[in-house]
Amino acid sequence: MPDRKMFWRIIRRIFASNRARLLVILLALGAGATVTAALLNLQIDAKRRLTTEFRAFGPNVIVSPREQISSPNGATLSETLAQELGQVATVPGERPVSGVALLYVIAEVSVDRSAKFVPVVVAGRRVMHAIDRVTGASAPQNDQQCSAGSKVAEQLRLRAGEKLVLRDAGAQATCQILAITSSGGTEDNQVSVDLGMSQHLAGLPGRISLIQLRVEGTPAVIDKYVASAAQRFPQAEVRPIRQFTEGEAKIYDRISGILSATVVLVLVLTALCVMAAMTNVAMERRNDVGLMKAIGGATRRVLRLFLAEAALLGLTGGVLGAAIGILLSMWLGKAVFGIAARPRLIVYPVTVALTIIVAIAGAYPLRRLANIRPASVFRGEA
Amino acid sequence: MFLRLVADSFSRRPRHKLLTGAALALGMAVATAAISVSLDVGDRLAREFRSLGANLVVTAQADSLPLEIGGVDYRPVNAGAYLPESDLGKLKTIFWRNNIVGFAPALEVPVEAWTKPSQTSSTPAIAERTTLMGTWANHSVSIPDGKTYVTGIEKTNPWWQVDGRWFKDGAEECVVGKSFAARTGAKIGSALNVNASGANLSLVVTGILSGGGAEDDSIVAPLTMAQKMAGKTGEYRRLYVSALTKPEDEFGRRDPTTLAQADYDRWYCTPYISSIALQIRQVLPGADVRVIRRVADGEGAILTRVRTLLWLVTLASLLAAALAVGASSAASVIERRTEIGLMKALGAGSGTVGFLLAAEQLLLALLGGGLGYSLGILLARLVGQKIFGAAPEFSFLVLSVIIGLAAVVTLLGSAIPLRRASRYEPAPILRGE
Repeated sequence: MPDRKMFWRIIRRIFASNRARLLVILLALGAGATVTAALLNLQIDAKRRLTTEFRAFGPNVIVSPREQISSPNGATLSETLAQELGQVATVPGERPVSGVALLYVIAEVSVDRSAKFVPVVVAGRRVMHAIDRVTGASAPQNDQQCSAGSKVAEQLRLRAGEKLVLRDAGAQATCQILAITSSGGTEDNQVSVDLGMSQHLAGLPGRISLIQLRVEGTPAVIDKYVASAAQRFPQAEVRPIRQFTEGEAKIYDRISGILSATVVLVLVLTALCVMAAMTNVAMERRNDVGLMKAIGGATRRVLRLFLAEAALLGLTGGVLGAAIGILLSMWLGKAVFGIAARPRLIVYPVTVALTIIVAIAGAYPLRRLANIRPASVFRGEA
Repeated sequence: MFLRLVADSFSRRPRHKLLTGAALALGMAVATAAISVSLDVGDRLAREFRSLGANLVVTAQADSLPLEIGGVDYRPVNAGAYLPESDLGKLKTIFWRNNIVGFAPALEVPVEAWTKPSQTSSTPAIAERTTLMGTWANHSVSIPDGKTYVTGIEKTNPWWQVDGRWFKDGAEECVVGKSFAARTGAKIGSALNVNASGANLSLVVTGILSGGGAEDDSIVAPLTMAQKMAGKTGEYRRLYVSALTKPEDEFGRRDPTTLAQADYDRWYCTPYISSIALQIRQVLPGADVRVIRRVADGEGAILTRVRTLLWLVTLASLLAAALAVGASSAASVIERRTEIGLMKALGAGSGTVGFLLAAEQLLLALLGGGLGYSLGILLARLVGQKIFGAAPEFSFLVLSVIIGLAAVVTLLGSAIPLRRASRYEPAPILRGE
């Protein structure tokens, strides 16, 4: 096959002869591929990461007894429900559900040194699973510790480290204040203790008033979780906290919309830029084409030659650029979310393919070269 | 002569110039669109975050400790302190008044409620113990400077949905929570009897409220009705404020009392949530203003992240645009070897040749940059309109940045081939080698 040998020889010569031009095209294609890969990878990652960021909003699902609560601790749920709720599957591979089980009691509270007792809501809380800062309150770790909301502290003039006496209906307990917390919510009016202590105070061992859950994932995942949990535990009312689920859904839509729009915009225009650069280079090939035609090259073969060149350039630019881009996106992910973006393998072939397509499309104007008349080229007519 | 050469170069090879210009314009369009969207997105998203509702809560400083579980306050009615409703107009006189998106006072009264037995039903209605929350819906507040401002609970709790309509301000109407409605059989149009320690009212149900919280079990009525029930004319217990804020940074978290005067002024004049809280405290005497940390901190964290993310994306697209533009201007210089050779053979110095080419590129950058800017603005409008329903504003800053960027990038792109061109020996080029 002397034909094929000749073909590759010409390709080799094209690459060897004009290094500067080659570098320019590679740079343009590589830059395009880099941005494409980085943005694609970051976009997939950022959308997932965003739902994690919403964690800062705290619990988004509340599980409470189905019966109406008409007195402070009228209806309660079994403590074991909290563990079972964690087993309700969301989407395979999604992060697990975390939460806090709570029992509220209105108890009389007094600082060690005074005998004056003031009624305060005491929230016994126990963290169910690996959880983050659900309410901003540092949950007391054992029976002897508690934390006071800022309003309680103000009212009773409490300081961290003091001893607190709690009593309700005959039961009594003491704890040491670990911290004064401020959240702007109802927690400010409460004393936080371990669940066991509030159960002891209320005389309700093994019971809880409600569970605050943090279900992570997209709005659809949360809805699915709520539906399946409600079905599995008919004795409890499982409802999303609309303030946060709806707000999160809206914000998620906006942010992912803006990310997608930016990415599409950048990709399309990057492709156009690369094409314009390629076209510019293609135009100066008139002399080469004229010569090839003059010595008997068929238009189709000449065209094939240039398309092969473009495809090869696209491949090289894509392979290099996509690799740099994925590295770049990992770094960007680290800069934004503090965790390196996970590289997605799918991004790599997609980017390379896109780059090759853009490179070939950029060589498209070469088609016009078919009309070139060798004679006019040699006469130097532009 | 110089100008003639430049003009000649443009008219002789319009196609080449057009292509380079197009690449430039497209690149700059990306840059413009990305910058415009990034500049704008923070404010838009901050507004979007207000769908989470109030981020500040105001109570009376002298208030006793609320005994609240599941949205029901177990304090006796007369315990605690109240704030005067007449002061609320002052909220719109603070320094960051335009950042206050909405506010609504609330007064909760424990009541017994029952629907009037209908004519056909023989079963007597059972009184249901619940909470009546008095608040504003589409209330117009008069501001000290003579204007009025319309606000209400739907601004501070935007996730509340009312099937039917909100009550009219001051009318004997109410909306009822959906669980309450289901239990008592209250429907839109039915009359609801409400009784609290002697005071008695009959309210017409105008809507069914669903909010996903304690409000689903309660009655929401005009503030004046709740004041009548509680015997607290012109007073409220709690105020929710929804304000647009700037995420708190290192500076914003510092304790304002320790700041020097100049720093304090800067802190005061930045819409941090804490400075807005302070300003509200200054106009509402006896009030205790607290930041709802859950809302404010989450918002701050996410806003900061998203903003950084978008700036990085913008930077990446700027880089790509710059590289593509640089590459095409480099290509346009490379192809002019013969011309450069000829000029040098005719006695032009390297400096003159470089100057001539640079001038050409700059002219191109100006044209391409300007065109790209208009194209980019169109794109940014499209994106802004699509996502936020509002187009980003025209900014002169972006235009100057874009033109400057176009000039720098084209010059840099042509610098390397130009340097090489200045070293060309004219003879071999002219011989066609």
